[in-house]
Amino acid sequence: MTRLPQDLDARLGAAAPSGIEYSSTATQHGVVSAWCGLAKSEELVPVAKVLLELGARLSMLSARQLPAPEQEEEEEEEAAEGEAQAAKPEKVPPKTFGGTPLDGTSYEIDYHFDIGGDTLTVIAYVPAGGSIASLTQYFRPADWPEREIMEMYSIAIPDHPDPRRLFIDPAIDTAVLERLIPYSVLVNASSTKALWDKVLSMKGGAS
Amino acid sequence: MSADISRTCKLPVGPVHVALEEPMYFRVDIDGETVRGVDINAGHVHRGIEYLCTKRTVYQNVVLTERICSLCSNSHPETFCMAAEQIARLEIPERAAYLRVISAEVKRIASHLFNVGILAHLTGYDTLFMHAMQVREIVQDLKETVFGNRMDLAALCIGGVRYDLDAETTAYLTAALDKLAPEAAELAKTFRNNGSILRRTKGVGVLTREEGLACGVVGPVARASGIDYDVRVVAPYAAYDRLNVPVPVLPDGDVWSRAMIRLTEVGQAIQLIRDCLRDLPEGPTHLHDRPDIPEGRAVAKCEAPRGELIYFLKTSGADEPERVRWRVPSFMNWDALRFMFRGAKLADIAIIVNSIDPCVSCTER
Repeated sequence: MTRLPQDLDARLGAAAPSGIEYSSTATQHGVVSAWCGLAKSEELVPVAKVLLELGARLSMLSARQLPAPEQEEEEEEEAAEGEAQAAKPEKVPPKTFGGTPLDGTSYEIDYHFDIGGDTLTVIAYVPAGGSIASLTQYFRPADWPEREIMEMYSIAIPDHPDPRRLFIDPAIDTAVLERLIPYSVLVNASSTKALWDKVLSMKGGAS
Repeated sequence: MSADISRTCKLPVGPVHVALEEPMYFRVDIDGETVRGVDINAGHVHRGIEYLCTKRTVYQNVVLTERICSLCSNSHPETFCMAAEQIARLEIPERAAYLRVISAEVKRIASHLFNVGILAHLTGYDTLFMHAMQVREIVQDLKETVFGNRMDLAALCIGGVRYDLDAETTAYLTAALDKLAPEAAELAKTFRNNGSILRRTKGVGVLTREEGLACGVVGPVARASGIDYDVRVVAPYAAYDRLNVPVPVLPDGDVWSRAMIRLTEVGQAIQLIRDCLRDLPEGPTHLHDRPDIPEGRAVAKCEAPRGELIYFLKTSGADEPERVRWRVPSFMNWDALRFMFRGAKLADIAIIVNSIDPCVSCTER
């Protein structure tokens, strides 16, 4: 009893001619979650326009840095060693179906749309240092989440109408979710270094 | 010369303000007593919980998500568990489904009564504020008795619930609801008829249906603006597909309508809990301990007291999830303040902010 149109994948495919990766699952209550990966992130806006016509509501944006597939690389190394390094295979990182390299630096941005209770997630892949179009002019609820993505990751959204920081202070470097920030720095407690020096010197003196 | 002088002046409201339990900073443009514009500056309680979630196991995250917010401390773990259960293809036992509804609706009553109580305080009707909080105390005592704490913490787990009702707690729950129902009805009657309340809330902070749809507002804010949307009905979960969930909708979109939606939902939540107690099946309350969560991704949503709460969970098969992301109802509703403030009086700012039942801890995570 899905509320998604029967020909949704065809409509999305028509808006994104470079290709889509479409799948869907349903819960035991019949609530559908559909997923639509885009081969080219430039086709996000045409897809969003299709969803705007369908009366979809942009519910949430999620971004994440795609992890590098560690296991496969290790196997490659082992294989290379086994061949006594006869011919070193060039390490080519695997790619998404659209060609975005999966080397641990690319991003996935998920746009979760609500259509009458069912969820369609449009997935765009952005390589490191890449950018993505803003959906704020089509979907007002994209405003804050896009600002949040810009401060959490090194993703540029050049045409965002209000690209100020949302939660993180402008004094803090961007891409906070990609770095470890020590707690002492976070709470501005690095001034206690003098205390630690004293503790360590006392410990050194005792031993 | 006079043309150079701006007619408006900027007034800071917050970050620490008498009407807000949590810090949020509004830079309000005022022209005399009238609001002309508002800029919202957030981030005062940003704690990086999304990052923390990826450093803890899926099971530790049930505990962590409970601590995102006080008034939704049931909705966060519930939605997180639903996402994990979707990935692992787990079906929770029937009894657990009903018990989840009971814990969610108890939480809804407590949250809504708190909000309308604060509204009474902001209108200057402190006697009613104290009365509403006293009525809410029935629910707080109920939570302490049934869940062992006044926050409804640790009621849920992946695969079911961690509490059960026996004859004694069921009798207490029934008696508490019998005591609460007439008090809540009386409170609703006061909000419907009292001149002081009506004068301060009717026609104030209006959000039209079109504006609400554009902002993507959810929960009582949406339903008070004529948007008929309730996750419990459109995307049922737990036992809501077997229960009669009425969705109250009002057309005016003002502060009063939002309060009335909440008060109506208090009465309906009481009825839902009674229905659950009537239909509560026997059986286990959760699946076997700690089922494995394989690689996968899921989106889950539930109707928290303030509206649609949505979670995205991506797991890799490791103990820690790759990404946990959620969007709370308040996140959407802040934007609507820009419309609600339009032409509002300075004295109504606090009442309008309170009417979206804002949760800063939830919003900033």
